[in-house]
Amino acid sequence: MRIKLTSLMVDDQDKALKFYTEVLGFRKKHEIPVGAYRWITVTSAEGPDDVELSLEPNANPAGRTFQEAMFAQSIPLAAFEVADIAQEYTRLKTHGVVFTAEPTNAGPVTIAVFSDTCGNLIQLYQPN
Amino acid sequence: MLLSNDAFFRLCRARDLLGQVREQPLSIKDVAREAGISHYHFIRQFEALFGVTPHQFRIESRLNQAKQLLALGRHSVTEVCMEVGMSSVSSFSGLFWHRVGATPSLYRRRARSMVQVPGNYPPDLFPGCLSLMGRLPASAFRNFREAPLVGVPLKST
Repeated sequence: MRIKLTSLMVDDQDKALKFYTEVLGFRKKHEIPVGAYRWITVTSAEGPDDVELSLEPNANPAGRTFQEAMFAQSIPLAAFEVADIAQEYTRLKTHGVVFTAEPTNAGPVTIAVFSDTCGNLIQLYQPN
Repeated sequence: MLLSNDAFFRLCRARDLLGQVREQPLSIKDVAREAGISHYHFIRQFEALFGVTPHQFRIESRLNQAKQLLALGRHSVTEVCMEVGMSSVSSFSGLFWHRVGATPSLYRRRARSMVQVPGNYPPDLFPGCLSLMGRLPASAFRNFREAPLVGVPLKST
């Protein structure tokens, strides 16, 4: 058993693909039409290249309710590791990214939280 | 942009207001006032946080509600139009066709033909988490090193 794929629900797959590739810097791996939607996955440009993040449509009402409730409670739905959180924070802000928490020392990690513009809060972390 | 906790919660509150269906819908200015943010800052901050303007969010929210109601098949197109807070069926149908690519009545018929369990949403239109995976070609699951995207029908951006 391996952890090779995880997913995030997004409110618009086009917007999400643009944000995750052009702003965050991930690479598109798959974009396969499936009925009314697409199977879209991205990988990190920093590797590993076979671990994928799926950007899934949150068309299901249950998914939307969950996503909106978690967002309103300031709860991130994914966390990405970075080597230099201060640098990423500055870089992403220049791209217009909205942070709800600036880099903050939380003991073993320094964390920051931003909106992915697709309905999710995402946590960045740098091990201390 | 770094949002304060207070501004974040005000914008979430505004999103809730925009998603509500009322007989007399609030204007965007009213929603900004309810959220306690100036009109200009409200539009700018809302779009930066949610990726759409308040107006676009309200339209998308109405269309999502309409799709749900149509898929369940219990309401006529006119009833759905009223349920989502729109008074003109022709405007509703035009907007729906423009954004969804089908008229409301055609969408309703197609959705109903996909329903396997009465009262449930058809999974093709309302997929659950990771359920799209079952309809992918086998090549999508080969190890990256074994099959580096060769033969996968990718769509260019």
